[in-house]
Amino acid sequence: MSLPCGVRNYTYARDMAILRTKTHWALFIGFIVLLFAAPLYLGNFWLGVANLIGITLIAALGLNILIGYCGQLSIGHAGFIAVGAYTTAILTNRLELPFLVGLIGAGLVAGIIGIIFGLPSIRVKGFYLAITTIAAQFIIIWIINHWSVTGGFTGIEVPYASIGGLVFKSEMSQFYLIITIAVIGTFIAKNLARTKIARAFIAIRDNDLAAEVMGVNLLYYKLLAFFIGCFYAGIAGALLGHWIGFLNAEQFSLTESILYVGMIIIGGLGTTLGPILGVVFIRLLQQVLTVELVPFLEKSFTAMPAGFATGVTPMLFGLVIVLFLVLEPRGIAHRWALFKAAYRLWPFSY
Amino acid sequence: MKDRKLSIIIGLFCLALVLMALPALSACGGGEADVKTLKIGISTPSTGPAAEKGAPLGHANLDCWKYINEERGGVNGYPIEVVWLDNGYDAAKVVTNVKKFMNDGCLMYATSSSAMMTASMEIANRAEFPGLVCFNAPNLHRPPKHIYGQLPDYGDDWTAFAKYYVENIWKGPGKPKMAMHLLNNTTGYGALDAAKAYAGELGIELLPSEEHTTTTISEVESLTRIKAQNPDVLYIASTPKPAAVIIKNAVELGMYPDITIGCGHAAMTKALVDIGGADITEGVYGVFPSASWGDDVPGMAKVAEYCRELHPKDEGNGDYVTAWAQSLIMAEILRVALDNVGYDVLSQGDVESWRAIETQGIQKLKGYDVEGLQGPVSYTSGDNRLSNLLKVFQVQNGTIVSVTEWIEAPLVRYEEFEWFGK
Repeated sequence: MSLPCGVRNYTYARDMAILRTKTHWALFIGFIVLLFAAPLYLGNFWLGVANLIGITLIAALGLNILIGYCGQLSIGHAGFIAVGAYTTAILTNRLELPFLVGLIGAGLVAGIIGIIFGLPSIRVKGFYLAITTIAAQFIIIWIINHWSVTGGFTGIEVPYASIGGLVFKSEMSQFYLIITIAVIGTFIAKNLARTKIARAFIAIRDNDLAAEVMGVNLLYYKLLAFFIGCFYAGIAGALLGHWIGFLNAEQFSLTESILYVGMIIIGGLGTTLGPILGVVFIRLLQQVLTVELVPFLEKSFTAMPAGFATGVTPMLFGLVIVLFLVLEPRGIAHRWALFKAAYRLWPFSY
Repeated sequence: MKDRKLSIIIGLFCLALVLMALPALSACGGGEADVKTLKIGISTPSTGPAAEKGAPLGHANLDCWKYINEERGGVNGYPIEVVWLDNGYDAAKVVTNVKKFMNDGCLMYATSSSAMMTASMEIANRAEFPGLVCFNAPNLHRPPKHIYGQLPDYGDDWTAFAKYYVENIWKGPGKPKMAMHLLNNTTGYGALDAAKAYAGELGIELLPSEEHTTTTISEVESLTRIKAQNPDVLYIASTPKPAAVIIKNAVELGMYPDITIGCGHAAMTKALVDIGGADITEGVYGVFPSASWGDDVPGMAKVAEYCRELHPKDEGNGDYVTAWAQSLIMAEILRVALDNVGYDVLSQGDVESWRAIETQGIQKLKGYDVEGLQGPVSYTSGDNRLSNLLKVFQVQNGTIVSVTEWIEAPLVRYEEFEWFGK
């Protein structure tokens, strides 16, 4: 990692630190304070959006480990999120087990299902693997719809999350729960990226034959990537279930799965910052277009027939994504890295 | 080259800033601060995979509120501010839409599709925020909480059609054999719930059902399986596009018109005839809970006038009539609540206002005729369907015409059946 001018690492611990300078620390603490003080300056609606962003981020972090680090293309992520959501629903509603059991159970079950659907990755890769993960999406949703335990097409209710006697009922309390887990998830993902495991993932992504020659166990590491990626998805699914309170398989569509891939590509594959930026960008863009731009246009052009502005949302949404992919295919995280480098050298070019 | 790229990126950044600044810009309108208004929320799938229904539904909702505000002077003299949001048939979006409605002080909200209400209903139920759903499924109101059905549910469709079929169409000996082709969601399986509950009582033998998706392009394989069981009647619980595919395939396989085909109300619209073709869909039966386009009922003149002026492409679409009726019902709920508790209670837009809307508005509805656009609406304790009346229709010469008067669909307490929700 490039460092600001004049900063040196004199110890191994210093070299391995995520936050290296006082400025890093100040910015980090400021960000955390700003984040956790959000209920003071955000209304319930925007807190709800923040909760959705937090849940989406957890799922995207998992997908980034799978695709961004290990190179295993998965287009069935919404299916794995559904596994987590329904697992927690069954554990906390039908079996009346505590929320934490449901949460961890959701991660584990989704991870195990991920391993099962990850098995083809041993023999196939790229687009072929993508097709097998699409199959996972359809198989999982079919089972949910036709298995009596899940409530089938009628759906299943999920109680409020609670730890001990503390019930997470309000948007604010749910925000603290979701954001805390999202921060922990991000911290783990960031650290995972600096371990032997992630180096094995990256070796597999860059050239799996060469990785195998170097002694990387492809079977173990590919399935490990599926387990970790789907564990994150399961945790996200569990939080989603407790947040919205009622599950129906239609909430986990293939479109959602594709959107998750889009988020990590736009944010920047293979970085921890990428999913954060991608998720925030896409979810905010969706909300701003839907709840701000369209009503604004409708109010501003009263001579037009009501509803004329609906088409603007998908068109602008698509246009912005296309422009991003064309102009910055390495994602927002790369643009951020370039900005930081330029800022550190400013006013000099080199 | 590099400069151009940089300027495009700066341009994109500026666009993002403008979008972010929109809330502040829209707040600068001013001039309306002294006007006493009430707010309601409406979320429609005007874009996305259900737009063929969502767009006309959204148009009708907004056109009707324009009519109520401009020609009737609002409700009891109070202009109604409509917070209308497109949900794109996306569960995540409709959840945030409903949170926005609650946050903005809306008194109640309406959705058109059962899927979108399913995704958002528990958030509303937990907050005691009353919701009105246009296309209704049993799981939305059984057991009854804070979500109300404008229309009978998909199970009621089946019951009404099955009753009509047994009493008026079936002439053979013994029990008629009914096959069901179900959309893979509550639209389809809501009908199956009713069939499981009532088929025995109506003397109908149910054959194993088949399932399809909204994106299906051929159902020849599933219809071949159905054909092998010699059904007398095929019931399609779906939306217009897949229903048109199934009917077309049934014609190709020589099943139709030898057997009777009936459709649930989510499919029985002009779009079915437009997509399937008048010759293919000729003679198909279906149920629908709203009046037909052009019916001689008091409310139809305004529906036609606004539709022709503002959304001429929607003319003839039954969904437009249905959503117009939905807005009229919301206006009536507000009127009744205003009469009972007054403006001050409702103007708070908080949980007390929501309770007032529910207990002093919705639950006080008694025989409101919706200007003839659908069956009269009333609240009956323990039954959150505000209307339980349907008509049977038939495609005749490319037009959907009613063949019955209003048929009452009985209340089914699905939650008392062991199989419900499993």
